[in-house]
Amino acid sequence: MEKDLKKMPTPAASSTESASLSTTQARLVSKTFKKRSTWASVWRQLRKNKGAIAGLVLLIIIIGVALAAPIIFDYNTDIIQNNIRERRQPPSADHWFGTDEMGRDIFARVCYGARYSLAVGVVAVLFALVFGVTFGAAAGYIGGAFENIMMRLCDILSSIPSVLMAIAVVSALGKSTLNLMIAVGVASTAPFIRVARAAVLTVRNEEYIEAARAIAVPEWKIVVTHILPNSLSPIIVQATLRVGSAIISAAQLSFLGLGVPAPAPEWGSMLSAGRIFIRDHSYMTLFPGLAIMVTVLSLNLIGDGLRDALDPRLKS
Amino acid sequence: MSRYIVERLLMLIPVLLSVAFIIFAIMNAAEGDPVYSVVSADATQEQIEAARIELGLDGTLIQRYFRYVGGMIKGDLGTSYVSKRDVMQTYMMRLPNTLKLAAASMVVALVISIPLGIIAAVNQNSIRDAVSMVLALLGLSMPNFWLGLLLILLFSLRLGWFPSAGYEDGLRSIILPAITNGTGLAAFMTRATRSSMLDVVRQDFLRTARAKGVTERKVIRKHALRNALIPIITVFGVQFSNVLGGSVLVETVFAWPGVGRLVVDAIEQRDIPTVTGALVMTTMLVTITNLLIDIVYAYVDPRIKSQYAKKGFKLWKRT
Repeated sequence: MEKDLKKMPTPAASSTESASLSTTQARLVSKTFKKRSTWASVWRQLRKNKGAIAGLVLLIIIIGVALAAPIIFDYNTDIIQNNIRERRQPPSADHWFGTDEMGRDIFARVCYGARYSLAVGVVAVLFALVFGVTFGAAAGYIGGAFENIMMRLCDILSSIPSVLMAIAVVSALGKSTLNLMIAVGVASTAPFIRVARAAVLTVRNEEYIEAARAIAVPEWKIVVTHILPNSLSPIIVQATLRVGSAIISAAQLSFLGLGVPAPAPEWGSMLSAGRIFIRDHSYMTLFPGLAIMVTVLSLNLIGDGLRDALDPRLKS
Repeated sequence: MSRYIVERLLMLIPVLLSVAFIIFAIMNAAEGDPVYSVVSADATQEQIEAARIELGLDGTLIQRYFRYVGGMIKGDLGTSYVSKRDVMQTYMMRLPNTLKLAAASMVVALVISIPLGIIAAVNQNSIRDAVSMVLALLGLSMPNFWLGLLLILLFSLRLGWFPSAGYEDGLRSIILPAITNGTGLAAFMTRATRSSMLDVVRQDFLRTARAKGVTERKVIRKHALRNALIPIITVFGVQFSNVLGGSVLVETVFAWPGVGRLVVDAIEQRDIPTVTGALVMTTMLVTITNLLIDIVYAYVDPRIKSQYAKKGFKLWKRT
């Protein structure tokens, strides 16, 4: 950290430098300086963290598999078509992860399943992020009675166990992939309200906000262009870690039969189907579970790394 | 202090009412008129209307909500559409099983996480620290129901040490579900213990204790852990709701006859009174537990206690 500080030009040095340069050059100097001080430095921190890099590599592979799955496998013939003659075969050269009770190749289904898990995780968290950050930032910025009502609401929402909340939402809306996303999203909104409010509270009274207000920047613009960008880091960390837990929640609901409907190859419902055969065909439950764990692990590694990189105070 | 407790208890009332309303509203948004799950297919319009009144499905959502809350105060959560039994009675029959499982899971979590967290913090950046943190990360990333399936595979099907389902075997049958449910919690708490201990380990009073010749063991146990305990209790309290919620899955995997299983079965049968009642009751349990934990650590930590004694606790922090 100290090394990085030494490398950065001091404001005084950069201003004398830019004074001697032409205006376009000066703009370039200030631009590169700005870039380095934000995301580039986060990346430099992150690069040193072996765990985060491992997580990033894993996640890129998983995303690659998810994107390539429909090119390599045909949904109708490879993923959902029954092949009773080849049912419940242990892992072999033909079927790397074995076949399930309908004779479908588990490797193909696990690969394809990455699409569902990633999609549900990301969409659910985006849903939670949009609602949570909007209300949380508004609560932190407006304050007063509105803030109090929002925070009490948040207490109420978080006292409902998130799995039960998601179960209630799905059972009310009906079983479908979209409803699964909404259910998991609703159940993960409260933490975002909290984090966004806390983040906004810390920057709200900074001098540059006062400066913006002094030159009559409209309130909404202050929030969008000054407050939110400066309170992004805890929100990003929260979002990364939440995608992981959203993937687990989605798998849990599917395992209970409340998630992505059959015959789609969702990891949770594959586990649910395989558990009856666990005594003699344990590979049917082994691989989908392993896929969930590796995916969530990669997200947790990245989330932890980001947290350390974005907030050096937490690094101990 | 007693003023604080009374005010917190009073605040519980609107919180519980809102929780009940949220769940009631969600469950009533369910597609399809629940009256048709009770009457026969060839029922006349009059029979349907009669059934509607009998089930308490007449009137607006708000009217029904107040009727529901009125019943709730008297301990009446309605009657199951399927079994025709009293929901409250069924819930209370299942609740002890879930509480037993939750308590056992908490014990598992404590036994694993406190020593592991302390070892990690005291030997920071050592191989032991790294191993503890990797274990915690794996615990966080593993879906608990999958871990349960793996445990069944190894310990009941291959080794035959524990039963794979049910609760008839007493202590032997609770071990696997408790480990399954406790592992995720242990992972959270190991991390919390480590970071809380790291904050304390570097403080001056520990150096003073060492300087006056207190043994290292005693320094860690008496001086460091005591002071690191508050954040750990907080995490523990917050996780209680996750243990109750997460036990839905564990109960399904191990055929444990608890509340979670009740909810899942009721959803499959579209038995709305049972689902609503069980969710409302469980959430209330969580809310009340959280309140108790808040009060407990106001007692445990004199710093928090004096804070409330000075300022008093306000329902509205700023108005």
